Amino acid sequence: MPNIEKKSFDALVVGGGIAGVESAINIANNGLKVLLVEKDLTIGGKMIMLSKVFPTLDCSACITTPKISEVDRHPNVTIMTNTEVLHIDKQDKHYFKAQIKEKARYVDVSNCTGCQLCEDACPVVVPDQYQYGMVGRKAAYIPFNIASPRVASIDIENCSLCGACEKACPTQCIDFTQEDKEYEIVVKSVVIATGFNLFDPLKIPRYSYGSAKNVITSMEMERHLAPTRPYNHVLRPGDGKMPDNIAYVLCTGSRDMTVGNPICSQICCMYSIKQAQLLMGALPMADVTIYYINIRSFGKGFEEFYEQAKGMGINFVKGKIGQIDELENGDLKVRYEDINQGKLVESKHDLVVLSVGAMANEDPKTMFKADTWKQDEFAFAQQKDLFYTPSLSSIDGVFLAGTTSGPMDIPDTILSSGAASMEAIRYIKQAKVEI
Amino acid sequence: MKQKIGVYICHCGGNISDYVDVDKVKDVLAKEDGVYVSKTTIFACADSNQKEMVADIKANELDAVVVASCSPKLHQITFQAVTERAGLNKYNYVHANIREQVSWPHSDNKIGATEKAIQIVRSSVAKVRLSQAIEPIEIDTQQAVLVLGAGIAGMKAAISLAKMGTQVYLAEREHFIGGRIAHWDVLCGTEETGKELVTRLYTDVIANKNITLYTGAEMVSSGGSKGNFNVQLKLKPRYVADVCDDKENIKKAIEVCPVEVPDEFNFGITKRKAIYHNFPSEYPQAAVINMDDCTRCGECEKVCDKIDLSQKEETVEVKVGSVLVATGFDSYTPGEGEFGYQAIDNVITLSQYKRLLAISNGELKWNGKKIENVAYIYCVGSRQVEGENKYCSRYCCTATINTALRSNDKFKNLNHFHFTRGMRTYGKQEVFYHEASKQGHVFFQSYGDDPTKVENKNGKTIVKINDILTNRKELEVEADLVVLVTGMVPRAHNTIGDILKIPKGRDKFYNEIHMKLRPVETVIDGVTIAGACQGPKNIVESINSALSASIKSYSFVSSDKLSVEPIVAKIDENLCQYCDACTTACPFDAISKVKSGSKDVALINHTVCKGCGMCLPVCPTNAIQLITFSDDEVENMINVLANEL
Repeated sequence: MPNIEKKSFDALVVGGGIAGVESAINIANNGLKVLLVEKDLTIGGKMIMLSKVFPTLDCSACITTPKISEVDRHPNVTIMTNTEVLHIDKQDKHYFKAQIKEKARYVDVSNCTGCQLCEDACPVVVPDQYQYGMVGRKAAYIPFNIASPRVASIDIENCSLCGACEKACPTQCIDFTQEDKEYEIVVKSVVIATGFNLFDPLKIPRYSYGSAKNVITSMEMERHLAPTRPYNHVLRPGDGKMPDNIAYVLCTGSRDMTVGNPICSQICCMYSIKQAQLLMGALPMADVTIYYINIRSFGKGFEEFYEQAKGMGINFVKGKIGQIDELENGDLKVRYEDINQGKLVESKHDLVVLSVGAMANEDPKTMFKADTWKQDEFAFAQQKDLFYTPSLSSIDGVFLAGTTSGPMDIPDTILSSGAASMEAIRYIKQAKVEI
Repeated sequence: MKQKIGVYICHCGGNISDYVDVDKVKDVLAKEDGVYVSKTTIFACADSNQKEMVADIKANELDAVVVASCSPKLHQITFQAVTERAGLNKYNYVHANIREQVSWPHSDNKIGATEKAIQIVRSSVAKVRLSQAIEPIEIDTQQAVLVLGAGIAGMKAAISLAKMGTQVYLAEREHFIGGRIAHWDVLCGTEETGKELVTRLYTDVIANKNITLYTGAEMVSSGGSKGNFNVQLKLKPRYVADVCDDKENIKKAIEVCPVEVPDEFNFGITKRKAIYHNFPSEYPQAAVINMDDCTRCGECEKVCDKIDLSQKEETVEVKVGSVLVATGFDSYTPGEGEFGYQAIDNVITLSQYKRLLAISNGELKWNGKKIENVAYIYCVGSRQVEGENKYCSRYCCTATINTALRSNDKFKNLNHFHFTRGMRTYGKQEVFYHEASKQGHVFFQSYGDDPTKVENKNGKTIVKINDILTNRKELEVEADLVVLVTGMVPRAHNTIGDILKIPKGRDKFYNEIHMKLRPVETVIDGVTIAGACQGPKNIVESINSALSASIKSYSFVSSDKLSVEPIVAKIDENLCQYCDACTTACPFDAISKVKSGSKDVALINHTVCKGCGMCLPVCPTNAIQLITFSDDEVENMINVLANEL
């Protein structure tokens, strides 16, 4: 049993994406102690994986890293990665008890220098989840170059226990005896920033994702375009050919009752237009076609960005894709209703990108006692008082940052995190009990 | 003179190294005078690499550092902090921009880009060689915030700051608080009306002792800077006693007033008197006399002794550490004849339609005629092909759908025809669009360059469209009422922005520091922006932005001391012959005349000086130096740039 004295914080922030990081910094800047818990091996969430951001075309990694490094060395923030929140129980008084599990990394983090010699020594190669399977990684690995913390970890499920990493490690920090550790912590307030899940396109078999090799998701395209891209070029996965006729299928999994998701994901139009613009730079000879129901470029500078894309020669076609079939040479036959012509049309592309939507991440449901954590009809967190305190969840003292409460882009996530952290600070300062 | 300079050249993960030969830059710089360490790094900003740099600076006992990477706007502070953590003074750091100034603009010329990068880094080394250790200036701060605008964003910000224990001055230009939302009936997605939401907010505002509320208050001037703003507010009199419990006689006073003018609260579709209030329960619960309308006939005074025509305009000064601007937006006013506005009598705006629905009972009528067919024309004043406003106003699609859906609750037999440019009911708001479609609302979509037309044919109002959704068929609807869905535009009356010098974006809304990550801060330290003054927003987005702005404003006032950048101008009193040129050139009123011994000299107020350098070139005796940009430092840089390798 760890010492409770040392395991109490003013706020628990669940999720180390941009929403959690922004919230943690805001709260910690006010002299309050924050525990930031991330289930992945690194903080940074989805934003750190993106290529550039719309409509400023800033390099996403470059604008995320200052935030990451600020939170990482903040004296008031304790970060635990590879750690799951098991339960959060609201106590009678003004505080919460939380059970968290730090999963074994099989590496002594305090001694790891990130030298990557274990990676070189490891003989096991598996698909790299951070590059969406486009390249391989070792079983002993560092998630990616700008991961935080930038330390190794052993993927024990795939490890052959050969011991090569142990021998290679110059600081003897590989430790196969490590076990998962559970802690009980006490906090005065909770910020939930668990983000969203990408829509799984296997749910729409008509789009042939998984069977047709050259149908990829928009997140895979982000990795193709990122500065830390795996191939240093945009190559289609089927045969490594540089694509020259690329299609975007908007509303994949959004506004689609056939998959049970009636709502719009708010970000896909814009990230697709951004990717299309980046592709025009990366592949100047390529044609890019965006198939859409409505283009929703509603934010600051977005409509201008859309107009700019049209000016660059990106082809916008109003029509929802019905079916995608793979041809013998790996190209794709795309069938859709062209609204402008008022008829069914077929077209050919050599790469199809599915602009997958933002779905609720239901992780928080398992953290709280049944019936206290409420969701809306789309499984996002319920906002108890939508207009007056948008960040308040169904539980007093638990606040919602970012896409926990619904799809939103980065600026809206920052605003929502600002609101959640302001409410959390106020709640903590009002806490009567000393813990 | 620094002799152990460290130079770090960043690949930026390919952003720089794809176009600039970073190894060549490193090798050339290694030979520069005073350079002790010259290295490349993949991502200088990554936390692990920052730690390596700190260790490297310490291990080599470096005395100054240059990082060549992206724009200083992104990472100057990052690497200044690295330098500090390594035990150096942060002003012994100089930032060289070889991404925005080199690799990106010169991606077509790698050799030239590499040469330019070398020159830029060498000039930075020339500057850092002369760098001095300096300490930040510490100033006393006013632990109070001025919030401008008492709409929902301003009120929410004021409440959250006050609950943190901050003294808040909340200033509203109108005589009544609540802004736009006070006008609206049931809000989208809830059963709450705008009036109820506003009432909840002002109940909190009034109950909080830390909030001082001014209505009829306009900012007339502001001096000082972050930590210490002195703001003058002009308070317009309401000519009615503030505490007015004599409701009956006020009612009589309104009755006897002979003046009738269009009522702004109902957007001109009804009339009000020169003495008026918007609705009985609003705050302050007192009437007001608009002196522009009043004929001073004195009728109201005869029936009500709370009326006081002798009230005078007052000015108050508030001292605050931060100013939070939440001044909202104007609704776009269509031009005469734009979609029939003001030319055809049954063409009104969405705001007018919402008020018409709110004040009508029984049958919905316009100009005495029963309304059945309502045509909504979207994107009026937004997404203009010809015109100023290129942007989308974001809230209007959903606002229109909500209004149309809710109108059926009150009035039966309305038929709704939506003439859109493509629906933008983003996020969860999509369900309202879906609901409207299910209820039989008819949606059309026009081409951007072929807008919907409104015509008067034989006394009938006809709306015509070449409809995308039916393969460009020309369709017509005979409408009893045409509702123009007008977008949000920046405030036309914008003295506040001018006084505080808040920059504006392409869309003329106030500009944030960084669109993505710093949406509520401005380049004017201590001034934050909340709600729709930064760009169109709905209610939830405005409230979130208000709370975000309040947390940033709070950071300026949470302690009684603030550090400010010591990059300021400095006067050499021996050389100064006070001539007034610098005082005139200073845009921040930071320079004044003082006596030094027997002569007059200029004195720079270091808490007000921004280090802009405007005073330097006008000084005839070269008595002014800018700290960290002294003549020696700048000349050294120019020498490097002017000389070939």
